[in-house]
Amino acid sequence: MNQDKGVSRRSALKQLGTGAAAAAAVAASPAAALGATPAKRYAMVIDTRKCVGCHACSVSCKTENDVPLGETRSWVEYIEKGDFPEVRRSFLPRLCNQCEKPQCVSVCPTGATYKRKEDGIVVIDSNVCIGCKYCVQACPYGMRFINPTTGAADKCDFCLHRVENGLVPACVNTCQGKARIFGDLNDPDSVVSKAVRANALTVLRPEMGTGPMVFYIDADHTDARDAARLGTYVRIETNRRQQERV
Amino acid sequence: MHELHWGLPVILYLFLGGLGAGAGAVSASVLLRSGGGDRPGSGFDIARWGALIAPFPVIVGTGMIVFELGSFQAGNWFRFVNLFKVINLSPMSIGTWLLSLFILVSLAYAYTFFMKDPRPGDARHSLRKMLAWAMVPLGVGVALYTGILLGALPARPFWNSPILALLFLVSALSTGVAAILLARAIFREATHHQEVARSTYLMTSSDLLLIAFEIAVVFLFIMYAHLTIGNTEAAVAVILGGRLTSLFWLGFVALGLAIPAAIELKYVIPTLLYQKQYVMPRSIEIAVCTLVLIGGFMLRYIVVVAGQITGPVGI
Repeated sequence: MNQDKGVSRRSALKQLGTGAAAAAAVAASPAAALGATPAKRYAMVIDTRKCVGCHACSVSCKTENDVPLGETRSWVEYIEKGDFPEVRRSFLPRLCNQCEKPQCVSVCPTGATYKRKEDGIVVIDSNVCIGCKYCVQACPYGMRFINPTTGAADKCDFCLHRVENGLVPACVNTCQGKARIFGDLNDPDSVVSKAVRANALTVLRPEMGTGPMVFYIDADHTDARDAARLGTYVRIETNRRQQERV
Repeated sequence: MHELHWGLPVILYLFLGGLGAGAGAVSASVLLRSGGGDRPGSGFDIARWGALIAPFPVIVGTGMIVFELGSFQAGNWFRFVNLFKVINLSPMSIGTWLLSLFILVSLAYAYTFFMKDPRPGDARHSLRKMLAWAMVPLGVGVALYTGILLGALPARPFWNSPILALLFLVSALSTGVAAILLARAIFREATHHQEVARSTYLMTSSDLLLIAFEIAVVFLFIMYAHLTIGNTEAAVAVILGGRLTSLFWLGFVALGLAIPAAIELKYVIPTLLYQKQYVMPRSIEIAVCTLVLIGGFMLRYIVVVAGQITGPVGI
């Protein structure tokens, strides 16, 4: 924040120097000057320290979005690590990352999948989607599936129908330990902005360059393939039909 | 193990589409090379077989990918027309248009040969030549885009290689040549013309060259994947000791590349080095072409499956 102010003050001084005082005033606060509401940027922070792996989020997601049996929009993975008595089990709730640069959008041949300009949520128009599964292949997080009833790709959309009406997503609403924090990153006073500022965050598979908008606090990123290298016992339980983690 | 979202219909499409596109591109370039087939040593016969083969595997393969669509399986049979309402930079969107154009042009091109006695300089000569100019880039485009389509996905490290498209292109041209030679070996009359032997020699040696090039591309594909670290190296391990190792090395490299290349070499060398009359028994010709086609299918099968059973390392 301080850095941002510094930059705008510097540019304002620079522009004042060239005599464009009015332009500087507008540049310093374009939203206020033009009376436009800034676009929202929805994000979620998941504090895994507070997650108890109860699957309330998974269940509420299924009921809220009428997700077909066998498919999952949101689920919780268990990571079991260590040798008795030094054993730790941690939980990794998973959902669509609503990426800044979604791979699924850039490969979609019909434009059925797109990132909403007004809030950054990645959505699917199931009347346009032809079910080619290209996006299913493209997602580095295995979030997408083909809904057998519509024949279209399906995934978490931050419960868009709730969020548009000022509610939080069903999984956030139902979370027993308040591990899920949802809100607008463009609003510095939102709980999610505060959580982002106050904590060290990680995202899943950052090397994919997708810029996830779902952030984790204290998440265990141990993979089954780390087990041999670490010389310890690691077991991943995905708790979804697809047993291998994607 | 990861789920297989793209199954046999997609694999068959990649194989049949490559074969048809390869046959079309080879046919048209053979025709254009001899000025529309009216120069001596024209290989007009080759061009004719290629033209008659080209559209049909592509149409069958395209039907198969429509069958694989989720919307089709859910009963929305005609939703695939949504593909034609948009042009965007998705490799699949570009491929859709290329594929449609190829099917139309290749049908028209086949029509110019579909007459009682097609020969250079006949009534459809100029139309045939014009369509041939379009067939070469369209055939290469259709053969190439499938590799680009798979290569565009960082989430599938086995596919995410720029050289995969080149591999698919070379394999498509090779299977196209094999399909032309196979069709001619099966259907031609027993008489062995000098002209037929000459054009068969040219085609067989071209196929040999293509297989040699394919071996080089496969080598580069594996070498670059194996010499890196992380996702790509872990993914390519599936053919270097993993589950698909024997299928890849025996089914594709040995059966589909090395053996047909060795047999072709045996028959091509005497003509190439000592200018002897080129003779390849029909049974050997059929066997070699069948092996090349099996190899082409194996390549698509292994690549499509390997890409889907491997993923990024770590979470």
